[in-house]
Amino acid sequence: MRHARRLLGLVLLVLVLLPAGAAGAAEGERPVVRVGTEGTYPPFSFHDSDTNDLTGYDVEVIKAVAEKAGWKLEFVETTFDAIFAALDAGRIDVIANQVTDNPERQARYGLSDTYTYSRGVIVVKTGTKGITKLSDLKGKTTAQSLTTNYADLAREAGATVEGVEGFAQAAALVVQGRVDALINDNLAALDYLNTTGSDDIEIAGTAGDEVSEQKLAFRKDDAALLQQANTALAALKADGTLAKISEKYFKIDVSVENSGDADLSGGRAVRSDAEIVQDAAWPMFRALLIATIPITVISFALGLVLAVAAALANISGSRILSGIARVYISIIRGTPLLLQLFIVFYGLPEIGIDLPPWPAAIVALSLNVGGYAAEIVRSAILSVPKGQFEAASTIGMGYWQSLRRIVFPQAARTAVPPLSNTLISLLKDTSLLSVVLVTELFREAQNAASSAQTFFPLYLLAGVYYWVVCALLAAGQGRIETRLNRFVAR
Amino acid sequence: MTDTPTPLVDVRGLDKAFGDNHVLRGIDFAVDAGTTTVLLGPSGSGKTTVLRSLNVLETPDTGIVRIGDVEVDFARLPAKGKGARAQIARLRAQSGMVFQSHNLFPHKTVLENVIEGPVQVQGRPLDEAVADARELLDQVGLSEKAEQHPFQLSGGQQQRVGIARALALRPKVVLFDEPTSALDPELVGEVLSVIKELATQGWTTIIVTHEIRFAQQVADQVLFLDEGVVRERGTSAQVIGDPTQERTRQFLRRILDPG
Repeated sequence: MRHARRLLGLVLLVLVLLPAGAAGAAEGERPVVRVGTEGTYPPFSFHDSDTNDLTGYDVEVIKAVAEKAGWKLEFVETTFDAIFAALDAGRIDVIANQVTDNPERQARYGLSDTYTYSRGVIVVKTGTKGITKLSDLKGKTTAQSLTTNYADLAREAGATVEGVEGFAQAAALVVQGRVDALINDNLAALDYLNTTGSDDIEIAGTAGDEVSEQKLAFRKDDAALLQQANTALAALKADGTLAKISEKYFKIDVSVENSGDADLSGGRAVRSDAEIVQDAAWPMFRALLIATIPITVISFALGLVLAVAAALANISGSRILSGIARVYISIIRGTPLLLQLFIVFYGLPEIGIDLPPWPAAIVALSLNVGGYAAEIVRSAILSVPKGQFEAASTIGMGYWQSLRRIVFPQAARTAVPPLSNTLISLLKDTSLLSVVLVTELFREAQNAASSAQTFFPLYLLAGVYYWVVCALLAAGQGRIETRLNRFVAR
Repeated sequence: MTDTPTPLVDVRGLDKAFGDNHVLRGIDFAVDAGTTTVLLGPSGSGKTTVLRSLNVLETPDTGIVRIGDVEVDFARLPAKGKGARAQIARLRAQSGMVFQSHNLFPHKTVLENVIEGPVQVQGRPLDEAVADARELLDQVGLSEKAEQHPFQLSGGQQQRVGIARALALRPKVVLFDEPTSALDPELVGEVLSVIKELATQGWTTIIVTHEIRFAQQVADQVLFLDEGVVRERGTSAQVIGDPTQERTRQFLRRILDPG
């Protein structure tokens, strides 16, 4: 039981220390308002291909609002389908991402005054016949972000909706003929046509006659922020700032009704694939260095501590400890990592455990690695002959000293090959972290892809980055194995 | 060792059962300092369990073991807790153990094997421990193997390192658990001669072995164990040369004349 208590202590320590590193946002003079936006929805919210800075119509609008209202902004990028969950969970305070007004959202959220009037359009593959209005979509398939207003329109029209993560993905599916159409904002469609120079898709018609209104969305109970936003928007309308921002992107003022046809031709330049890859190479490499690799290393180290604790608990002979260890291992191995991430990031806040993105990612990944590696560590420890424990005892070593100096170095030989697999899997699993708002390599590739409206060269580049790191890890594994095998007769 | 009580090792009423298997049924014996004691007996007689009990690799159910001035009464030893562990550690520190299958640490060199206990457990200065270890390796005839790993040695050499490792802790008594049983016959001699050498240097040893000739040569005291009790005890001349018990005679006949 002595070892049992130490083990338990170790595990608790890890769990307590993890969140501690990321505690509390500092209270400045100006309130910090966290803005949720896609970052992959040009021309409203995207990364500039030259500077990689977040920009776009919605981004500039919320910055202007913050200026007037005296807020300090913090941008949080996430997919649209996670954006309302993030608002509900208190991870962001406002959504600036072309949230279209509708009765359900009015009931649930605090919506500001309108800053965009737009029309939905139906986009099809060039040359498609028979789809020009909403009713034509009956029995067809469209690609949408599932929680958007446009997805509701498509469903009401009788279409089957395929869920995607953003406009660029939906457009790709239309181009590839995998879906029949997509419904989206007129402005987003024009931006796509303009940026890609593509004539693969075309605007086939409007999605209904109504003009839709886009607003900032707050939590219902955040009335003060909403009030400040409306005051600021009114002032921005009055002094012409809003019109100026709009004209920069659309040549017209979309912040008022019936302002005429938008013209996006002066917007972002068409780039070749080579230019697209060149522009994205550094931001993606940077994401690899400052997010993907450190998160992998930290999670693996903590996961190993958990794994050793679980393995020792499992073979401790204490029924309670080995029971806890077995339940832990079983749960981790029996559920998807994506689900574990969602539970840690979106689920735990509901019971008061509110971890910021990085700690949440590290907690979830560490727990996952711990569960998988525990069995590897256990069998590696059991592979060390009993006589080694006895010899260590007879020269006077205690439990921990025997483990550290005699057992672990020998167990490492057995454990290194399967643990290397775990590490390599972990590195690749970090590509899931965009769902918990961590901008790692894959998320950066998605940013670049949506800004450029093209996927293939960027995903290929991401693949190369992952592969190179994995190849380096595998080479490292070979060297460690050689080292560990040097004292064994062959 | 002059201050320690006489005899050096005192074992009283050792009793141990593994489930239904009652392997020790009241073992008593004593060992004087500087003498060699050999435990003989058929397999399953309990001789290895007795030896392992002295080092507390097995915990007897009841009985008292005293080595030097450290005495443990197993009937009163708590099943767990700090006190129990401290008592066991103190008793264990009185003896060194040489295993049948040597159990050297494969990831450490010969020298590292020998200094592991003195440096890591006893906290002795590294240079002093190394000097000591080199002397011990010289004594077992392996000074030029110090930097090699166990897998590079023959079985006999490995066992001699095992002996050096046990001696390095400067125990009051050295325990040998069938030190030559796992060796090829031609390697047995080199190990036995090292053990014989220890006797002449004044080490106190307790040896479980099937080497009757060897026992005759070195043993000051021979205990014949059978079914968990000491059937016969005395000098090697008495027990091996002129046994009084039928069980002893049977055992010796089988060992000496296996055909």
